Amino acid sequence: MFALRALRRFLPALAGLVIASAVHADTYEVKLPPELGTSPKMCDYAPCAEVMPGATSFSERKGQPPFVEAYKDEGGQKKLLGYVMLSTDITDTPAYSGKPVVTLIGMDTAGKFVGVKILKHSEPILLLGIPESLLIKFNNQYLGKFVGDNIEIGRSRPDENIIGLDAITGATVTVIAQNQVMMTSGTTVAKQVGILKPVIRPQAKFPPATGTPSWSELVADGSVQRLTVKPEEVGLKGDGPYMDLWFGYLNQPAIGQAILGKDGYASLMSRLKDGEHAIFIIKPAGMDSFKGSGFVRGGIYDRVQVRQDKDAFTFRDLDYVNLWSVAAAGAPAFSESAIFIIRGKGFSAAYPWRLVFLGNKIDKETAAKTFANFDKEYWLADKYLEGGRPVVIKPDPTWLKVWKERAVEIAGFVVFLLAISAAYASRDKLVRRANRQRRWPVNAFKYTGWVISIGFVGFSAMAQPSITQVLTWFHSLLFQWKWELFLSDPLIFVFWVFIIVTVFIWGRGFFCGWLCPFGSLSELLFRLGRLVGLKRFQFQLPKPLHDKLKWVKYVVFFGLLAVSFFSMGLAEKLAEVEPFKTTFLVGITNRSWPYSLFAAGLLGLSIFTERPFCKYLCPLGASLAMPTTFRWFGLKRKDECTSCKACAKGCGSQAIDAKGNIDQRECMLCLDCMVLYYDDHACPPLAQERKRRTKAGQPLTPINGKGYFIPIHQVPAEPQKKGATA
Amino acid sequence: MTIADRNELRQPAYGEAHGLPWLVAEIRDHLWPWAGKGQPARKAIQGAGFALAIAATLAWVMAALGRLEAGAIIGWWFGWSVFEVLVRLDAKPYVKEGPWWGRLYRRATVMDMICYVSFKNLLIGAVLFIALKAAGVLIV
Repeated sequence: MFALRALRRFLPALAGLVIASAVHADTYEVKLPPELGTSPKMCDYAPCAEVMPGATSFSERKGQPPFVEAYKDEGGQKKLLGYVMLSTDITDTPAYSGKPVVTLIGMDTAGKFVGVKILKHSEPILLLGIPESLLIKFNNQYLGKFVGDNIEIGRSRPDENIIGLDAITGATVTVIAQNQVMMTSGTTVAKQVGILKPVIRPQAKFPPATGTPSWSELVADGSVQRLTVKPEEVGLKGDGPYMDLWFGYLNQPAIGQAILGKDGYASLMSRLKDGEHAIFIIKPAGMDSFKGSGFVRGGIYDRVQVRQDKDAFTFRDLDYVNLWSVAAAGAPAFSESAIFIIRGKGFSAAYPWRLVFLGNKIDKETAAKTFANFDKEYWLADKYLEGGRPVVIKPDPTWLKVWKERAVEIAGFVVFLLAISAAYASRDKLVRRANRQRRWPVNAFKYTGWVISIGFVGFSAMAQPSITQVLTWFHSLLFQWKWELFLSDPLIFVFWVFIIVTVFIWGRGFFCGWLCPFGSLSELLFRLGRLVGLKRFQFQLPKPLHDKLKWVKYVVFFGLLAVSFFSMGLAEKLAEVEPFKTTFLVGITNRSWPYSLFAAGLLGLSIFTERPFCKYLCPLGASLAMPTTFRWFGLKRKDECTSCKACAKGCGSQAIDAKGNIDQRECMLCLDCMVLYYDDHACPPLAQERKRRTKAGQPLTPINGKGYFIPIHQVPAEPQKKGATA
Repeated sequence: MTIADRNELRQPAYGEAHGLPWLVAEIRDHLWPWAGKGQPARKAIQGAGFALAIAATLAWVMAALGRLEAGAIIGWWFGWSVFEVLVRLDAKPYVKEGPWWGRLYRRATVMDMICYVSFKNLLIGAVLFIALKAAGVLIV
């Protein structure tokens, strides 16, 4: 009843704090003016002056991707101070929420970051738990740093020329994404304005054309590539693709002549200067134009772009040449076509490049447009390059870098999980070595697991699984699965793979009872309470009340799941019913008092009653309990368990019902009942048989797998041989 | 044995089958919640179950034709799942005990059945949902 009273008291305070936090979170899911993403006068809708100190005026959007120039008045004349860019004009990198953090970035003419401002984010972790000020503090680390530096999350490595930034503990994925946003935005604009020089790559040399390949041959060897965008990828409905483009590189003689014919190829090459390249694009199908309906003479083709590594090549009207037909036999009919000239010494056909279609995704609910791009890689085959393809070392994806950096930690964690699993898998041997009085053969492993789980997994690695991850996975499964998102946090990823596997093998009890950091902390406090003489104050709720209250956690879980379909943000806020963030991520002493009191209250209560949160409130436990119905291997029971209550009385989880069956959904797999199962002094049917045999002078045979002494069968004595008497 | 009370054990109608026939019967059992021959079941629940199942099937067909929103099909599937719990509790009130390849079944409590149906239908729903999404007829 104390638990109920405590909950009744603290929940309103918690709800109040949730609302208060939402008020304080300035940029969480704020509604930005729609003109911000489209208006030429971007700075009329964004606080550009805040990221460019000293600026008095700003230009309209220019360039592709767009940015604005910032000026200050100097003696009545405008002096260029730097550049301001909106991150979502340049990259659609999603953060943990799956949505981008909309950031306004200021960079001076020397390429140094001078201002960063978050305009909007959708990161629930920054709404509750981690203050938004930490993200601002994180962003401030960029100030004064040069855009061309190698800036990464983690420690600085001067020998590798890498400048490290301090991450935000508990929001690693968010800051990794934010670093990508900052560096991509900065370098893209810096290259456009000439702060960063394009990488000069060795030019390709082509062997002379020896034949004219057909369209199907060009497709087969990758000389023409296809970039398709489905309507649903841009938030539209419709039959057929939204955009279906075939494209290829024309300077290569065999490919160019196949596409344009010999005369056409010769004509095109005669127009190109040294270091210029031509590509073609045709659109056999699609709902929209790849040239862009808003294109005007003198403007930029704002829907297609070529990118090679970090260099982007855009096309103006002077870079356009008509393509009337494709000569290659078997080429598809098309409704739109173009030849574009790449003018930039940085481009080389010897290396891979990508055609990028710059699109907009329309939000169905708000009709707001968000930037989205789609690309397809192109790389000439060996046979089209003299000496074949050069060796290209592609940089590791961000998630892989994280895995490599934390390799030792990950390996240690995996070893820990496997060791505890091996111990549990050997439970039959362990419980046979233990007895009611001497349980260390089991507890040594369990307590070791708890201590490592609390210290290493919980406090150090902050890999406490949470219901918010279940909700994120559930939504991702239905809506948009991104492996990169889940792989960005390796320990959580490994833990979840492990949890899913073990839930189906042994049930939730293995994770909840042996490995959950909060659960371990909770039960360890209970054990410590007993050790220091508080046993007389320790209690269990009456079984009928327990049997009612245990459903609360399922209600909490289904409630969160239902809310998440309407608002993931609200579900994340309500998931504060888990005290995990307060305990491990932020720290009990670092949060405002209602959160601290809630977590401390639950832990304090755990000293007097075993695992109150796990039994009655934990939505994560509930979500794992449901598939536990189908766990493969359960604990053993005997026929006598229907009437004998010995195990049920000692069951800390109160998981044994009146019929002697174990409710696997509630069982924490402490193995106390299994210790009794083989204990011939504690298990009543066994003890009874032991006494009977002792009295009858019969030997005590070993106990078999079913928990009984191996039966003694009377063997008829052999007839005595005559004369064999002594 | 993981069950103390043997009175809790149940045997489905196909319990004696072996090999492929058993596997086929097992799959059919997961997909067909209604009682088979010789199994008692209340006609009202059976009838209402059939009606709702037809409606849910129609909902999936409409989704496949691109005429139903993602939220609507999730709602329909949830609604049907709730009713399937009732249908199964009436017609097939058992769940498997132990590994899926085993032959041990036990009486299903309401919670057992909620867990079974929700988990099974989550998997079926996710497969259909993802298939329709991949086919481009369901837009999220």
